[in-house]
Amino acid sequence: MAVQDTTTHNTGSGSGSRSGEERTPVAPARGSRHAGNSLRLRALEPLLWLGPALALILGVVIWPVVEMVRTSLMDISSTGVTRGFAGGANYAELFAEPDLPGVVLRTLVWVVGVVTATITVSLALAQLLNSRFPGRRMVRWALIVPWAASVLMTALTWRWMLNNFYGVVNRVLMDVGILDKPVNWLAHPAQAFAWMMAVAVFVSLPFTAFVILSGLGTIPAEVYEAARLDGAGPARTYLSVTLPLLRPSLLVAAIINVINVFNSFPVIWAMTRGGPGFATDTTTTYMYKLAFDNQAVGESAAMAVVNFALILLVVLVYLRVVRRREEIG
Amino acid sequence: MSAVTARSTTPQSATTPSTTTRRRPPRLRTVVLTAVGWLVALMFLAPYLQMLLTALKPTPELMKSPPSYLPSRWEWSNFADVWSLKDPPVSDALWFSLYVAGMSTLLTLAVGLPAAYYTARHRFRGRGAFLLLVLVTQMFAPTALLVGIYREMVSLDLTDTAEGLILVNAAFNLPFCIWILNAYFASIPKELEEAAYMDGAGRLGAMVRITLPLALPGVVTALVYTFIGAWNEYVVALTITSSGDRTTLTKAIPGFVTAYQEQWQYLFATSLIAIVPVVVLFVFVERYLISGLTAGGIK
Amino acid sequence: MKRHLIGIAAGVTLALVVSGCGKGGSSGDGDSDGKTIRFVAAKYDDDTQPYWDNLIKAFEARNPGYQVELEVVDWEQLDSKVKTYIQTGQQPDVLNYNKFSDFARDDLIYQAKDIVSPKVLADFLPLFADQAQYEGVQYGLPFISSARLFFYNKDIFDKAGISEPPSTWAEVEDAARKIQKAGDIPLGLPLGAEEAQAEFYIWAMNNSGGWIDKSGKWTVDQQANVETLDYLRKLTKAGLTQPNPEATNRKDVFNQFAQGKIGMVNGAVFMRKGFLDTVDKNLNYGIAPLPSKDGTTHNTLGVQDYLVAFKKDEGRNREAVNKFLDFFYQKENASKFLSTEGFLSVTKSAGNALSSDSAYYKPFVDALSGARFAPTDNPNWSAVEGAVKQRIGTAVSGAEPKKVLGEIQETAEKDG
Repeated sequence: MAVQDTTTHNTGSGSGSRSGEERTPVAPARGSRHAGNSLRLRALEPLLWLGPALALILGVVIWPVVEMVRTSLMDISSTGVTRGFAGGANYAELFAEPDLPGVVLRTLVWVVGVVTATITVSLALAQLLNSRFPGRRMVRWALIVPWAASVLMTALTWRWMLNNFYGVVNRVLMDVGILDKPVNWLAHPAQAFAWMMAVAVFVSLPFTAFVILSGLGTIPAEVYEAARLDGAGPARTYLSVTLPLLRPSLLVAAIINVINVFNSFPVIWAMTRGGPGFATDTTTTYMYKLAFDNQAVGESAAMAVVNFALILLVVLVYLRVVRRREEIG
Repeated sequence: MSAVTARSTTPQSATTPSTTTRRRPPRLRTVVLTAVGWLVALMFLAPYLQMLLTALKPTPELMKSPPSYLPSRWEWSNFADVWSLKDPPVSDALWFSLYVAGMSTLLTLAVGLPAAYYTARHRFRGRGAFLLLVLVTQMFAPTALLVGIYREMVSLDLTDTAEGLILVNAAFNLPFCIWILNAYFASIPKELEEAAYMDGAGRLGAMVRITLPLALPGVVTALVYTFIGAWNEYVVALTITSSGDRTTLTKAIPGFVTAYQEQWQYLFATSLIAIVPVVVLFVFVERYLISGLTAGGIK
Repeated sequence: MKRHLIGIAAGVTLALVVSGCGKGGSSGDGDSDGKTIRFVAAKYDDDTQPYWDNLIKAFEARNPGYQVELEVVDWEQLDSKVKTYIQTGQQPDVLNYNKFSDFARDDLIYQAKDIVSPKVLADFLPLFADQAQYEGVQYGLPFISSARLFFYNKDIFDKAGISEPPSTWAEVEDAARKIQKAGDIPLGLPLGAEEAQAEFYIWAMNNSGGWIDKSGKWTVDQQANVETLDYLRKLTKAGLTQPNPEATNRKDVFNQFAQGKIGMVNGAVFMRKGFLDTVDKNLNYGIAPLPSKDGTTHNTLGVQDYLVAFKKDEGRNREAVNKFLDFFYQKENASKFLSTEGFLSVTKSAGNALSSDSAYYKPFVDALSGARFAPTDNPNWSAVEGAVKQRIGTAVSGAEPKKVLGEIQETAEKDG
């Protein structure tokens, strides 16, 4: 049945053109309409469909990227004036920064922790939202709110709530009896980082849950029916039927989350500004500090390039692992 | 684990009509689900309820230590005041944000839908490269690219315009939209479309009547994602716009707390106002997020 | 059929771009006749924009043909905006900022004498004009200033049995212990990233420490500074400050003081308008000179913000800039800004105009004679300031003061 086909397609990752694609160009099948097209027109066809998208992406995204790379190779003064070519000097300075290894390590912990927690909880959430119970719609609407609110706002609100003077979290914990004195949560690097990761998960849950929920929606009833008829219990059904069919959604969710969490700025900036010192910085906040605290614009651009390279590396590794698992499974 | 298994025994997706197996739903399960559901909803709304309560407090009470749970006096006037503020012009900023976010979404979909559809259905030279480009460009966040973006807007003469913001928002959300739409289109079996051609539907007709409804969850996801992305976008709006009457709502909000003055009640009130349009949008489109399967019908 | 979709997409894109081009931002175009100038002002509070709007309206009425485009930016975002503008060659004509010397070093701005009339130039109080020099030439135009004094809560002092505000560091510690015993927070010490450099400098300067020595060489790691941090660290560890000074910002400390929770704090002249009046107008507080280690001299931290004018269009904007700045520095206009925002004057004329509301301001104005300023005339200052904001708080919590100061000294000595 066509259903099985839907799960083996790729979702547009790098090696898309080769893996298991069974698409045939539509035109030959409808020969009567397109028989007149010359070969050259046919080759231009993609350009027509993709043209505007390409123009936007190349124009508005890639151009500044080129600029960013160029900046990382220049010697820029504290005012922003370009003083000349610096070659690799900015990168050398960046890698000589004593705080960098901690920052990079923390970034990896940040990304892995937040993404894993987000996806795990989202799987459960999606199941909940997929089930029928009165008020389900309201719950779905409630779930959109953390996504609808800007991350900056949510982070500021959490910082407000965690404050040791006027924050409500301390008040609640004291009233319940867990604490007897307010704790300045965001002043201690480890606790601050834990809270910030929780906030990052909090704002990522809605989107991820909805992506998985949409994925659940594409699974037809017949599949579950078939599993039931085969005598599979609920856990077995979930693990061997639902999850594999969710793989495309999970891939989308994972990659988007990895990218967004890597580039995440407002949460850390609003809550601790990467402090105390550099104890809660990730590569993105560190990049910002290099430009506007240290006044080292060129070095900041170098950090941005390195950050991007890191993301690329992580995503490609992830895709490779997923691809390998798909081929085995 | 039992919660998960309890839910997954529903042997159907959410919107298919009840089949013969569910004439009398088991009551305990429904009760448990409802309780969990409402608890979850409460947890997600908690910080925003806190924002609401704080926004309604009178000024001297805002940062009282230790804090009070409820306002001693419900200052609804905080909302009225913030709406009529001139600096920042909150009501104008709301409309401006709506315009920018709406147009960005339209542009993204208008450009992304054809690209995704074609890529999903056809193999052509450069397809792999295109998809790789789409994936890679998602990794760029505007935060690192501000100077380049600004320089570009200068040369296009689009600084301090809504159109500049729209272009940038659309361009940065486009990769995700293409990616997810491509995935949804590709997951719809061609057989369905071909069945439609056989019935004499025509290419566009088939796409609109068969494929699009089935891909609706993807389209709606892309729509919501782009709208929210453009709506909450901060750094680019900050960099590109300069005049007071071209402020987005997100740009207006942090300005309430400066080094010399703090107006937290206005900050929270405006943030809450900013949430409303998005929730309204979502309420309208939410059902399409899940409805895909029943529309086309796998016969 | 396909063409429909493409057509729509292309059309929409095209339409947007074309209409965008048509409308077109005028920022940075550089008016050919030099009569329109861009002014980027910093946002102090929500009275800032209305003030400038009114001033500009009056200016344009008095000088037909001249126009000023205003952009008000938060202090938080100002550095990013200014850097972006300069990197893309889009700097404004006039900028309200807190530094100038690296602009001067890179030859981006006019000298002060080129953009204000001699009368205005002579009106600047020498104390401030001297600070606005780079390599002996005045570039910055003093805009507003503020000073710090020791604020203390009289009710808390009474409760703890303290009769006089402390004037030496030992007395501060003594008073703090008494207040701690009475159950309140003794000292507010904001060493969080918002303004750690100011707070630290206030203490350091009253121990004969500071950023640079007489010859202008960086001496961040001098012994006096290490002593200062040791002292502050001692207070912190003894619980004589609010919890976690390294993560508490000035805003929160001022607010808690206004609520009557904190006994002593280094307060600023703008504290009344921004923090005290909004929370508790009737707070029973007193103001005293800042305590020093040995109690002899009491320096205050002077802070001034500047106006600078960027060279553009081969000097074609100079005339318009000159007109606008002269207009602002007229005593009615300048003093109006100061009284609206709660700052201290930098010109003689405005200072005289303000003397009516002197009860609160007088101690601050008097303290200015002993004011020490941050070395804003050194182009490397912004990098040092950034390093201090990030690092110095850690010296009272975990890190060693000597090491922290050493790191900052390294930043200072690096070529900017």
